[in-house]
Amino acid sequence: MQSPGDIRILEIRTLRGPNRWTYRPVIEALVDIGELEDYPSNLLPGFPERLGSWLPGLVEHRCSYGERGGFLRRLADGTWPGHILEHVTLELQTLAGLPTGFGKARETSKRGVYKVVVRAWHEDVARAALQEARLLMLAAIEDRSYDVAATVRSLRRMVDRLCLGPSTGCIVDAADDRDIPTIRLNDGNLVQLGYGANQRRIWTAETDRTSAIAESISRDKDLTKQLLAPVGVPVPEGEYVRSAAQARQTAESIGYPVVVKPYDGNHGRGVFTNLVNGDEVEAAYAVALDEGSGVIVERFIQGSEHRLLVVAGKLVAAARGDLAFVTGDGHSSIEQLIDRQLNADPRRGSTEDTPLNPVRLDSASRLELGRQGLTAESVLAIGREVLIQRNGNVAIDCTADVHPSTAALASLAARTIGLDIAGIDLVAEDISRPLAEQRGAIVEVNAGPGLLMHLRPAEGQAQPVGAAIVDHLFPAGESGRIPVVGVTGSRHTTAIALMVANLATQLGHRVASATTAGLTLDGRLVQRGDCANYESGRKTLLNRSIDFAVIENRARAIAEDGLAYDRCLIGVVTSLDPSETLDDLWIETTEGMYGVLRSQVDVVLSEGTAILNGDDEQVAEMASLSDGEVIFYGRDPSATAVAAHLAKGGRAVFPRGHHVILASGNTETVLPSLLTASTDLDVLLPAAAVGWSLAMSPEVLRTSLEAPVLQTPARHSAIARTTSAMSA
Amino acid sequence: MDISRIRALRGPNLWSRFTVIEAVVTSTDADLNSLPPIEFAARMNALCPGIGTPDAMPDNTSAAPHLLGWATLRLQQLAGCPVRFWQAKPTSEPGVCRIVVEYSEESVGRLALDSATLLFDAARDAGSFDASKAIAALNELDEDIRLGPSTGSIVQAAIERGIPYRRLTQGSLVQFGWGIYQRRIQAAEIDSTSAIAESIAQDKELSKTLLDSVGVPVPNGRSVTDFEEAWTVMQSLNAPVVVKPRDGNQGKGVTVDVETREELEAAWAAASDISSDIIVERYLAGDDYRLLIVGRKLIAAARRDPPLVIGDGEHSVAELVEAVNSDPLRGDGHATPLTRIRFDAIALARLAAQGMTAESIPERGCRVILRNNANLSTGGTATDVTDEVHPQVAARAIEAAHMVGLDVCGVDVVCRNIAEPLEDQGGGIVEVNAAPGLRMHLAPSFGKPRPLGEAIIDTLFPDGQNGRIPTVAVTGTNGKTTTVRLITHLLAQSGLTVGMTNTDGVFVGNQQTDSGDCSGPKSARSVLLHPDAQAAVFEVARGGLLREGLGFDRCEVGIITNIGQGDHIGLNFIESAEDVAAIKSVVARNVSTTGVAVLNANDPLCVAMADDCPGAVTFFGDDAHHPVIAAHRAKGQRVVFIDGDAIVAAQGNASWCFALADIPLTRGGHIGFQIANAMAAIAAAWALKMDWTVLRRGLASFVSDAGSAPGRFNVFEWRGATIIADYGHNPDAIQALVDAVAALPAQRRSVVISGAGDRRDEDLRRQTQILGDAFDDVILYQDAAQRGRSDGEVIALLREGLADARRTRRIDEIRGEFIAIDLALERLRPGDLSLILVDQVQDALEHIAGRIAHA
Repeated sequence: MQSPGDIRILEIRTLRGPNRWTYRPVIEALVDIGELEDYPSNLLPGFPERLGSWLPGLVEHRCSYGERGGFLRRLADGTWPGHILEHVTLELQTLAGLPTGFGKARETSKRGVYKVVVRAWHEDVARAALQEARLLMLAAIEDRSYDVAATVRSLRRMVDRLCLGPSTGCIVDAADDRDIPTIRLNDGNLVQLGYGANQRRIWTAETDRTSAIAESISRDKDLTKQLLAPVGVPVPEGEYVRSAAQARQTAESIGYPVVVKPYDGNHGRGVFTNLVNGDEVEAAYAVALDEGSGVIVERFIQGSEHRLLVVAGKLVAAARGDLAFVTGDGHSSIEQLIDRQLNADPRRGSTEDTPLNPVRLDSASRLELGRQGLTAESVLAIGREVLIQRNGNVAIDCTADVHPSTAALASLAARTIGLDIAGIDLVAEDISRPLAEQRGAIVEVNAGPGLLMHLRPAEGQAQPVGAAIVDHLFPAGESGRIPVVGVTGSRHTTAIALMVANLATQLGHRVASATTAGLTLDGRLVQRGDCANYESGRKTLLNRSIDFAVIENRARAIAEDGLAYDRCLIGVVTSLDPSETLDDLWIETTEGMYGVLRSQVDVVLSEGTAILNGDDEQVAEMASLSDGEVIFYGRDPSATAVAAHLAKGGRAVFPRGHHVILASGNTETVLPSLLTASTDLDVLLPAAAVGWSLAMSPEVLRTSLEAPVLQTPARHSAIARTTSAMSA
Repeated sequence: MDISRIRALRGPNLWSRFTVIEAVVTSTDADLNSLPPIEFAARMNALCPGIGTPDAMPDNTSAAPHLLGWATLRLQQLAGCPVRFWQAKPTSEPGVCRIVVEYSEESVGRLALDSATLLFDAARDAGSFDASKAIAALNELDEDIRLGPSTGSIVQAAIERGIPYRRLTQGSLVQFGWGIYQRRIQAAEIDSTSAIAESIAQDKELSKTLLDSVGVPVPNGRSVTDFEEAWTVMQSLNAPVVVKPRDGNQGKGVTVDVETREELEAAWAAASDISSDIIVERYLAGDDYRLLIVGRKLIAAARRDPPLVIGDGEHSVAELVEAVNSDPLRGDGHATPLTRIRFDAIALARLAAQGMTAESIPERGCRVILRNNANLSTGGTATDVTDEVHPQVAARAIEAAHMVGLDVCGVDVVCRNIAEPLEDQGGGIVEVNAAPGLRMHLAPSFGKPRPLGEAIIDTLFPDGQNGRIPTVAVTGTNGKTTTVRLITHLLAQSGLTVGMTNTDGVFVGNQQTDSGDCSGPKSARSVLLHPDAQAAVFEVARGGLLREGLGFDRCEVGIITNIGQGDHIGLNFIESAEDVAAIKSVVARNVSTTGVAVLNANDPLCVAMADDCPGAVTFFGDDAHHPVIAAHRAKGQRVVFIDGDAIVAAQGNASWCFALADIPLTRGGHIGFQIANAMAAIAAAWALKMDWTVLRRGLASFVSDAGSAPGRFNVFEWRGATIIADYGHNPDAIQALVDAVAALPAQRRSVVISGAGDRRDEDLRRQTQILGDAFDDVILYQDAAQRGRSDGEVIALLREGLADARRTRRIDEIRGEFIAIDLALERLRPGDLSLILVDQVQDALEHIAGRIAHA
């Protein structure tokens, strides 16, 4: 069937911060469904069924009816393409590995034109998913074929390339759980946790406390051992060798069995374990030498490989290597048994999603087989067990089993090398017994260890390693936040923001302000012109010297980009001018504008304060949206909202004669004789409320409010620049 | 001449505080080939001009080693090593001399000794010696292994602050401080610099974005991957650009001041050779400056000029370069202040760009630039401009370093005038560098050197900290191990994690980190390396001290328990108790100036050490009226002595009393040598400013039994009799045991004893002479290690000692320690006492404990 009309995506914008739809970044698409406006889904023959069969996951979408299958029911009952586009986009993202999130579809004032809003884990992926969703829908409407799997594969590739890796991701998620804000600083895994002066950085499993020197020590296995042995950490004794003959000689002086391995090897390539005689040693030497970094001979430590993750001196996770055996059936070759008994395991595969690698007969295992008189083609008798792989992926959780003395040694090893986060490779027969009694040893200390094995073990429990890292960076009670004051409204916002910045400076803070008057960092105007936007707001939060940020948000900036911060300590809303709308953004009504400005109150922290103009009825209404306290300000304390607030014991600021009154319920503090003929009450009152909410004493507050506000800082002026901003 | 037993003494030693090579030289008169020493020296000078002659020359017999030692020192000096100490000391053996020569690098010292031997042989045999080659080899080896100038400057600053250091590798990885206070550097990198910050600095584009976002002026631009994109960026910037590879270093593939499409093509080609990711950015005009930021301070700034020659209208460019390079200040490596101008393909290309060749003769005054970058390693120069930097420029550089997260950071600034704000002149920060080279600031081509080492050390150790943990070294003939254990216990009582080394192992906190005899320098160093150690107590035995010197440069408290008649006499050129004292006094001589030597006032050889101690001295002794104690106290110094049934610590009019009854170690004050150990420990605790209450509590809770102090006066009860097991094995120890046992009531007394074969005959006899006057029964046994003696020889000597015994009535000779012990136990009746001098300490104690358990 020919579709009755096209679905045209007119424009897509990304709201990178909290916005009128949700707290999280979204893409907002303007979609024109044209003629399809007359064809709800129930009128498109076969469409709901095709969509349901192509995307079986849609059954989990609970929309409309608030239960499983809700969306599909709605689809059958009849819904419009804008709404369907939203769900298909979300489902495609889900299939690509980005869990379902927020979505919304809203009509605009123009018939057939919708705003479709979808959670954007990553802007590019969300945009691509939206475009694909459109194609998929059209195919489903027209009963053409569509390769869902290919789309999902391509989206997955995008996710792998563009999104945070799983190790970084788990740390960011843990930060999120603790309400610590995060900002991705590059296209890779460099992430800022927290804001301004209280920020920390991570790059995969490295933190900004991970010493570069310690990392370089950990890369030098020999030096690592040299440092560990004297402090009592058991290590395999060994030596660097320069020839096959020396390898043999060293092996003999250490005593068999030994290990031969490349000096700087990775991922087990060229590593030969359990060599029992000189010929084996010499043969292994030749292969290890090919890795190009020199060869080490050392005592072979009997047992399984373990990976112990130490964070800030504490053991937080441990995993054991995967020993792989095959059992003979009397007619299959070892190679066949490997495929049948081992590699058929769905946990084995070559991607990051599979916790175990496929088992292959590498040089080490062939050597091992050869020693037993076997080859890959040998047929094993029924019931005969043969060890194929001594050390496969370290993927079996054993955190709870680690003997406390071994945990202490792992911690000591990490601290001796100087790493705050370390992956300790340890070989032992039984991790639940002390190392000394089984002659186990720590064989390597790794900086920036992968966390995947602890997050998605093949067996056993996942460990909360992200939380451990976040707790290390931010001890209990630290949120990584700095005080952020956001100011929005139709009027006075710049003057208020500058006055607040002035107050904070008086309090001794290093203040950043982003306003229409420019971007000022610690008293230095670094950019002139309108900086009341997302970009400039971000800059105040990136700066490691700044411990107080004041950000002015114009309604347009919120509507176009979202807020620059996830939450703030203080949100000020001055007024909502009924004549102001943003028609080009399809925000054409006062309700629409209310929706934009309320974002500022939505993001107030529970320990924070919303400061609202009590004289403006609509603004006053926002009080109920604040998670934190509300302070009203206004010229008229008897205004309904203010009076009711005071009656409930709330706080308000208003003028009386030449004085400014700070009223808390029926208790009043007077800032005497603050008002003069030239005082702009619309600026002074909210600024006083901010100062009060910052717990400034009335004396200090009064003095500070009288201090002159430097509109253009007297210090050296800077050139305005237009370089590209941070990647969000 | 025969040279044997070459040792490197890597810490303070018998001879000096310096690191020295020690060798035993056996010489005969023939060694000088019948020449008078002064003539032999002249021959050496002829072979190796400049080697000189020592100030004083001994007589013929020891002249050969003397000249050898001298040559070893001089060769090092000629190679540029900062050494000056040497000595040649005859031993009691005729013709045998020990020579000792300071070294700054061990392998250079060893090689110098080898070279000196060759020189000596050549002089004797009228052979030949290539002096300049030998010196060059030493020099080369020294340059190869000594710390580079950057790291060296930091280490030097640490030494001046009294901060201990230790190289961890042959490279530039150095550790400062001890235990929990340790810090590390690698070249100009410090351990608090994060790998993340370095990665950010490495990524020029990312660092530029971060800097731009915090208002630091940077050259705009971006990275591109194809040429047309580069062209677009260049057009949009509408200014000359720089083209450079994204991950390059040392200025490879960088082209500056690119203005036309043709120039861009050439620049693109150069950069593409290095990386496929290429940055095109606005070219900042002006000079290159390097600002060095340490912590949050600007420490140094240098202007870096590219290598250039100035025309004289006569000489060609090639000749001008050669003239510049002939300056002796210019060398090939990093050792000289300037490096020679490299006149290679890059230089020729740069000339071609100026329309010149190597043969062109530039006009007088014409500056001919030979390279685009100003790296010192290719012949550029650095001029110190630290005092000229405008405060706002410094502020931007500091902000840049802080934003990236580097503690030690080289900030590259390009501007016309460093004395003006960057913003006023369109200047900017082009790069931040982790682990910056320090050479241009330490030894600028022009202008004042800057104290970077100090700044870096101040960052690592703020507020005058010296990185040291309190250290106590305990030496002496007897009582070391118990004193070490007691002091460790006392420090642990005050809440510290204490590292301890002794003859039973190495312990840190509750963990044993090594076992066996750990009374040497290696074990001491391992404690100082341990990241948990907050204090350290070392047993310092003679062996390690002779073999390698001390394992630390100095200690806060040095204790010499006693020398007595000495032990190990006859071994290793130790001829007398005075020789033993000389060795043990190394501990007293290497107490810090703020520290304390704790010396036994009753032992004249200990008392004599007071003069050599750089710090204060606390004497301990039996009696307040002992002249040494009384005199010391009168001078207002600290003393510890026994007063009736208490130990008293006194200084001036102040005194603190410790009842012996409250110190279980002394068994109510009955065991004299344990009282001495307790006094030494009290003195040490006092020196470490330990709280007196904690000290009392620690003394009261210290238990010395077979478990905590094996082989140290372990007392057992057996069928109503008393058994005492001890490891005492020299006459002083045995006398002390006899005194202690005498205080214990007993009917019949027996003793079980063996002797160590490496002791002198007279020392072995002396042991049983003492015992023979105190014990009724003596059971002699032959132990496992005869140490070079023939079967039965030691027992015979022990029996000789009993010849005139006043008390002994019965003597048994037994083979095997356990059998001897069993015999003694069988004979014990209630009320008897047996002293068992164990040899295989752990096994014997277990054996005794086992017998008692089954009794």
